[in-house]
Amino acid sequence: MTAAQFRTPWFWLSLLALMLLSLFVLYPLLNILTASFLGDGPSGWMRVIETPKYRQAIANTLILASAVTVICTLIGVPLAYVTARYTFPGKALIALLPLITLVIPEVIAAQTWLMMLGNNGLITKFLREFGIRLPSFYGWFGLITSMSFIYYTYVYIGTVAAISKFDAQLEEAAQSLGTAPVLSRLRVMLPVILPTILASALLVFTMAVGNFAISMILSHRLPLLSVATYQAAVAEGASDITMQSTLASVSVLIVMSVLFFNRWIVRRGRFEIVQGRGARPAALRGLGGLAVGRPSGAVVVISLLPLVTIAIGAFTRSRGPVMQWGEWTFDNLIRVFVTAPGPLVNSLVYAGVATFISIVFSALVSYLVVKKPNILTPWIDYVSAVPLALSGTVLGVGLLATFNSGWLSLSGTASIIVLAYVVRRMPFGMRNGQAVLHNIPNSLEEASISLGVPPVQSFFKVVLPVMLPAVASAAILTWTTTVAELSASILVYSGGRETLPIQIFRLIDSGLMAYASAYGLVLVAVILIPIIVATKVFGIDVFSRR
Amino acid sequence: MKYNPIAGLALGLGLAAGPALAQDPVLYTSNPVPAYEAVQAAVKGALDTDLGVITGGSGVLLRRIEAEQGNVQGDVFWSSSANTLGAFEALFEAYASPELAAIPEALRYPGDLFQPTNIHLVTIMVNTDLLDGATAPTSWAELADPVWKGRVIMPDPANSSTGYTIAWGLSKLLDEQTYKAVVANVVTSGSSSAVPKGVAMGEYAVGLTFETNSYAYIDGGQTELSLAYPSEGTFQTVEFSGLIKGAPAGETAQKTIDTLLSQDAQIALLKAAFRRPSRADITVSEHVGLPELSAVAVFPVDEAEAAASRDAFLAAWAELPKAGDAE
Repeated sequence: MTAAQFRTPWFWLSLLALMLLSLFVLYPLLNILTASFLGDGPSGWMRVIETPKYRQAIANTLILASAVTVICTLIGVPLAYVTARYTFPGKALIALLPLITLVIPEVIAAQTWLMMLGNNGLITKFLREFGIRLPSFYGWFGLITSMSFIYYTYVYIGTVAAISKFDAQLEEAAQSLGTAPVLSRLRVMLPVILPTILASALLVFTMAVGNFAISMILSHRLPLLSVATYQAAVAEGASDITMQSTLASVSVLIVMSVLFFNRWIVRRGRFEIVQGRGARPAALRGLGGLAVGRPSGAVVVISLLPLVTIAIGAFTRSRGPVMQWGEWTFDNLIRVFVTAPGPLVNSLVYAGVATFISIVFSALVSYLVVKKPNILTPWIDYVSAVPLALSGTVLGVGLLATFNSGWLSLSGTASIIVLAYVVRRMPFGMRNGQAVLHNIPNSLEEASISLGVPPVQSFFKVVLPVMLPAVASAAILTWTTTVAELSASILVYSGGRETLPIQIFRLIDSGLMAYASAYGLVLVAVILIPIIVATKVFGIDVFSRR
Repeated sequence: MKYNPIAGLALGLGLAAGPALAQDPVLYTSNPVPAYEAVQAAVKGALDTDLGVITGGSGVLLRRIEAEQGNVQGDVFWSSSANTLGAFEALFEAYASPELAAIPEALRYPGDLFQPTNIHLVTIMVNTDLLDGATAPTSWAELADPVWKGRVIMPDPANSSTGYTIAWGLSKLLDEQTYKAVVANVVTSGSSSAVPKGVAMGEYAVGLTFETNSYAYIDGGQTELSLAYPSEGTFQTVEFSGLIKGAPAGETAQKTIDTLLSQDAQIALLKAAFRRPSRADITVSEHVGLPELSAVAVFPVDEAEAAASRDAFLAAWAELPKAGDAE
């Protein structure tokens, strides 16, 4: 640390960034943690220990997340393997996978599963005719099934990326040294791709712990942590924030320990592929093709069902909560665009502003962290990763506890929704930005400065243009995840500021499936159109496999 | 920026369309979409203003009003029962709306701190497709039959005031053994809207819920559903609206309450959301297929006692075995 550091604009920018992060990330988190110990009423931790319902909620959440993680890995890894290594009939469908998870709101997915596997579901009724009785879809069966079929894509995407980077020459070397093909693949490939699989599996674990929408709809009488936190936050008669803060703290602790475990694994063993030459996919035809294609296709079709349901539902007439199947109408969509366009406009505005802020902030801050390190930047790096450990419900509870009143009262304004969006999604832009900047040589910028362009201008004129394609794809990913955000915004929104996901959640809760489907279809369009425009018009590889 | 169409669009929209609701009245409501939309339409017609709506559970809304005391955001709260509202009296301002003249004295809140807007009656909602040979129950006591084990759903009293009304009423109406047998058959749901949905979707044969929720599915044309008002007497809850202290919309907030209580709005609410009106000058069966209040047996419940004993009752309730427990 020298005095010279203070004279650069970068130091002061770092300070500003750290202050913003402290105020909007650390301070709310601190508020939750202190309220769990010092909040009004009996100590939150004592209440958690003494109340069987809360103990069960914690245990159930851990069991659920573990089960979902295992199943997602069992579906995602083989699917990734066959997709990366073979071509077979129907493979093109599987390329749609990453899109599916991004565009289907979880509330709608859960509702669709009920239509198929609930007590009155199509599949349930069909099986009952053969005397097979399925367990009730409310509870473990439903929660595990629907979460697995949504989250397996994260394992799939991670594994596909790892396998395609894997150098096939290693495998050939192993084979030429006398190992059988299948065995050599396992022996050589597994250690290399295992950290990635594990990382995606742990991501699934944390998402299952934090899941709000599906848990809310399907858990019914099974206590779960996220539902208990939400209910503590909105329960009638609960007058202090101690309980919700304590439950949120439990969830933070769980996710933190998972993230540390992940770090530890990643550090422990690392195999570097210096210059990978991915294997060419081998064609599978005939029976082999069918054997692989059928199950893979089935997985994709099942994941697509919610999308089909909302497309049909959006154009189906309804009377109150009852769908009049077979009677078609544009009324539901007219409602979305004409009668009650508020949620659509709100979503576009809030998610748009939040995406803009996230991207600008994360581009600038990752530049500071990677290219202009000073004593503050490691802290910026740590603090900006903290939201990854916070589920939406936890973040919502924290923001409510912090900005509800006091010197910075944001409750009742649109800014608290935008804030929730930015805090929740900014870390993705940060990680993306840092990855890109590591690949931009310093010499580029140094050349610009030595030619007489001031440092800040050099950033805008030299570094930013090189970063732009990556920034654009990060912007689109940020947009898609922001516009679908529900669990934090549902805790902080106020009158007239409903977004599309909030409106869909409320409509499904009131049983109004037709309206919910129409808003759902529009949400899907709002997510898909930028992706399509980006890939087709601007040629940006949004789902870059890298 | 020219490379980033999304951000450009966002910025454009952000500058063009910041939602501004400063002057319009804002309604904090725990009511579902069709209900508050009927009120929005009535306010638009009568006052020519847009009624902003924020929805949520009664508890969260009331605590939000409490938290916003220094910076009041809402004008009117609608609706909750007297025993929920009792704890939040300090947040509201008495308003003797001229429309109260048409509402029976017995329904009114002391000092007109809150205005009775409608009456909820508990119904037994039955999906006749799922009876499997059993007879549709028409009384509370019939639900004690083990044939109903796991086939009856009701809202969780700990999370829902509807659930609390039902559970408390049953504990007073039935003898202890029958009460325990009924409770042993029920499955509770954290969300009260899951109850009619569960019966209508065929998840449960019987649901205990307010008529406003169950009748919507019958009105929608699901002929396999039927409603029963139990012969021993059903439970009634009066729902109130309240004028929030320091309402920013001022006089418009009062006029919003007048509109909410008006005959036109109450008929519209009855037709759209099947809310039984608090006014005495509306004949329910002229508008929907529900019986008149005078034709239904109602079991009187001491609401003050129910509210005062809440914690003890819920603790005892939590100890009782229920059908959903075994997992």
